[in-house]
Amino acid sequence: MNTAKLKRMTRRTEFYMLIVLILLIALVQVRSGGKLIALPGVFTRLNVTVLRTMVVDGMFAMCSLVVMISGGFDLSFPAIAALSYSLTTTLCLNNGWCQSSPIAGLLLAMAIGWVLGMLNGWIISNFKLNTMIVTLGTQTFFTGISMGLLKLKEITSTLPEGFKAFGKLYIFESADPASGIRFTLSAMVLFLIALCAIVSFILNKTMFGRALYAIGGNEVSAERAGYNVKRTKFLLYSAVGALAGFIGMIRVCMESQSIPKAMVGKEMTIIPAVILGGASIYGGEGTVFGTVVAVGIISLVSNSMLILGIDTYWQQFFNGLVILVGVTVSALQAKRQKH
Amino acid sequence: MSEYLLQMTGIDKRFGGVHALDNVNFAVRPGKVMCLAGENGCGKSTLVKIISGVYTRDAGEITFEGQPIHHITPAEATRLGIQVIYQDLSIFPNLTVMENLAINSEITAGRKIVNRKRWEQTAREALSKIGYDIDLYAKMGDLSVADKQLVAICRALLFNAKLIIMDEPTTALTKKEVDALFKTVRQLRDSGIAIMFISHKTEEIFEISDDVCIMRNGKNVYSGETKDLTKRDFTFYMTGRELVDDYFVPTNISEKPVLQVEHLTWKGKYEDVSFDLRKGEILGITGLLGSGRTELALSLFGLGKVDGGTIALNGKPVKITSPIQAQKLRIGYVPEDRLTEGLCLRQPIADNIMLSSLKQLTRALGTIRHDELFDKSNEWVSKFSIATDDAHKHASTLSGGNQQKIVLSKWLNNDLDVLILNGPTVGVDIGAKQDIHALVHELANQGLAVIIISDDLAEVVVNCNRVIVMKDGRLVGEMTGDRITEDNILDIIR
Repeated sequence: MNTAKLKRMTRRTEFYMLIVLILLIALVQVRSGGKLIALPGVFTRLNVTVLRTMVVDGMFAMCSLVVMISGGFDLSFPAIAALSYSLTTTLCLNNGWCQSSPIAGLLLAMAIGWVLGMLNGWIISNFKLNTMIVTLGTQTFFTGISMGLLKLKEITSTLPEGFKAFGKLYIFESADPASGIRFTLSAMVLFLIALCAIVSFILNKTMFGRALYAIGGNEVSAERAGYNVKRTKFLLYSAVGALAGFIGMIRVCMESQSIPKAMVGKEMTIIPAVILGGASIYGGEGTVFGTVVAVGIISLVSNSMLILGIDTYWQQFFNGLVILVGVTVSALQAKRQKH
Repeated sequence: MSEYLLQMTGIDKRFGGVHALDNVNFAVRPGKVMCLAGENGCGKSTLVKIISGVYTRDAGEITFEGQPIHHITPAEATRLGIQVIYQDLSIFPNLTVMENLAINSEITAGRKIVNRKRWEQTAREALSKIGYDIDLYAKMGDLSVADKQLVAICRALLFNAKLIIMDEPTTALTKKEVDALFKTVRQLRDSGIAIMFISHKTEEIFEISDDVCIMRNGKNVYSGETKDLTKRDFTFYMTGRELVDDYFVPTNISEKPVLQVEHLTWKGKYEDVSFDLRKGEILGITGLLGSGRTELALSLFGLGKVDGGTIALNGKPVKITSPIQAQKLRIGYVPEDRLTEGLCLRQPIADNIMLSSLKQLTRALGTIRHDELFDKSNEWVSKFSIATDDAHKHASTLSGGNQQKIVLSKWLNNDLDVLILNGPTVGVDIGAKQDIHALVHELANQGLAVIIISDDLAEVVVNCNRVIVMKDGRLVGEMTGDRITEDNILDIIR
């Protein structure tokens, strides 16, 4: 029984990703002269930067993960996020909202994202179209609304104070022993942790979560088993829309600026990370743990390229490599399962 | 209460202009195995979908346990105790055995939260119904087809099934697995469950069923007890024509052999095999699975190894190292399933016929001469009397038998001397099987040398003028003419 468990574990992508992450941490730790993890304080300037990068990417990865488990692809979540936060910040600015508290803005962005997500969900569940094509269409459509129809502008220094203050909240503060420069761990990390916990709970402990796996595994069987596939998909895409709106707003707070074009092409770095984390491109496979580890690997590499002595121009090369490795492994696994 | 568990009278169903079910009468007795037989497209699956509530009938009456049923939905069918095990088994390959077993009942119970303990309990209960033991945490996709099927059966039993409908359950199983499945089916039958077994395989139907209902073109043409039916009648009802075994009579055997194989060896697969083959012959190679019959064919087509011995074509020794080379040497090989699967259904018939010989039809820059493509393919249409009025129509417009003729013409286009058919009629309807056999006879008598590799002894006996038998990688017997009988072959194999 124990050997069987061990065997199952070693067959999972997450297992290998974790090993890669540990090796990478060790490598960066050595090359940076112990700057990644420093006891007793644990947090260093480098690792809080990595964690900060992981907040938005990690949360977006959760959006992508749940959709991929159900056997779909959502290319539109960055566009939903961009339209939601650009519209929200513009409205807040014009009406003088959110000067002290960001909550109304966060809810508004979620509501906008929810409506946009419902459009995705409605098209996908009603017309049974390929999700990648539908969301490619809505992605362009949403970007068009934001840039063309509403002509939403960049908002930087005039961003409502409520958002700025919220983004500056931190849960840890220290100073770099060498330079004396202060650094903080953003409180937004808590949202990432909370979201991971919620998504993990939904995926593993609710029938809705199991429905996503079931639909991703075999949609016809899921229908026959008694799942309402149409409703499940509608709920999924609208929830992802709302979540994307929320994440976008968190990003605005963290960056203290709202730039409509900032999200363009984001899906092309998020989806590969999710695949690298063990989600199958054919659906039905994927875990929160694997996804977080993969996002960790990518954030760590992109933040420590200089330390590792790699020119940052190699970033693109690395991203491409991630896509190829992730997709190949995913395809090989699916093949093995068929035979 | 009537003696029938399920009774259907005068069932009618139309899809647009197609009369899918025409006044079908059908009944299942409790504790019996009822076989629903018929060739592809006869309305079997439509009938099943009406019973399981996926389709609604246009007319007719259904009673279950004596109670008239007016409107069936899938949920209602489950409540009544009707379970369908579809051909694809409706499993989730990405989930564990436990989840596959428990998920349906959890959904039916309207649960929202997952309770692993309860799931495991449900799964164990399901397995105990037929005393089947398997690792609950194994991934479903890793199991063999036979195991997947047993899991699907266990899952169906959770719903206190009174009637289990199995849609072509033996298609992907080996003989041994079929025997194991039948054991389970009998076990269920003896516990009082009615089994509706959908199949088109004569042998299986006679082995397992108590009652049989045969459908043809949307009508039921026979229903009654299996023991009152002869295999001959069965074939007649299935196909609507009197099929007599047309034994192959060679009329055009060449003097010199076209293929000579001497002491051919592929270490570990087969050893020291020698035979020759003349034009106009149909040579059967038979033997059990693992006897080396398929490997021998692979070597002849350049897909297998040759460790020793020689192959000569038309008297000249050759070395065949790749399929491309084999084709150049005018050897063709049609693997199992190819006759049924080697088609682009949504492409024109003509394109399908010419698919593997487009090179003959290209201009300098690689563009295709379409006029010639249609001329050439029309030759095949008339030669094989493929039932179509226009070769521009999609291959999907043809019946199964005609589709197989297309696949054969595709291979024959390349002017072959030797055609190797491996299991040419595996999974093919009786009627279409007959058509293929007739076609092969005709080809042989036109001067083609044919090798049929098959473990279907009846097929070998009817179609071959010479048979060689392999066992454990060695050639153990050869017989010709009247000496070729199933008993004689079995004597050698055993």
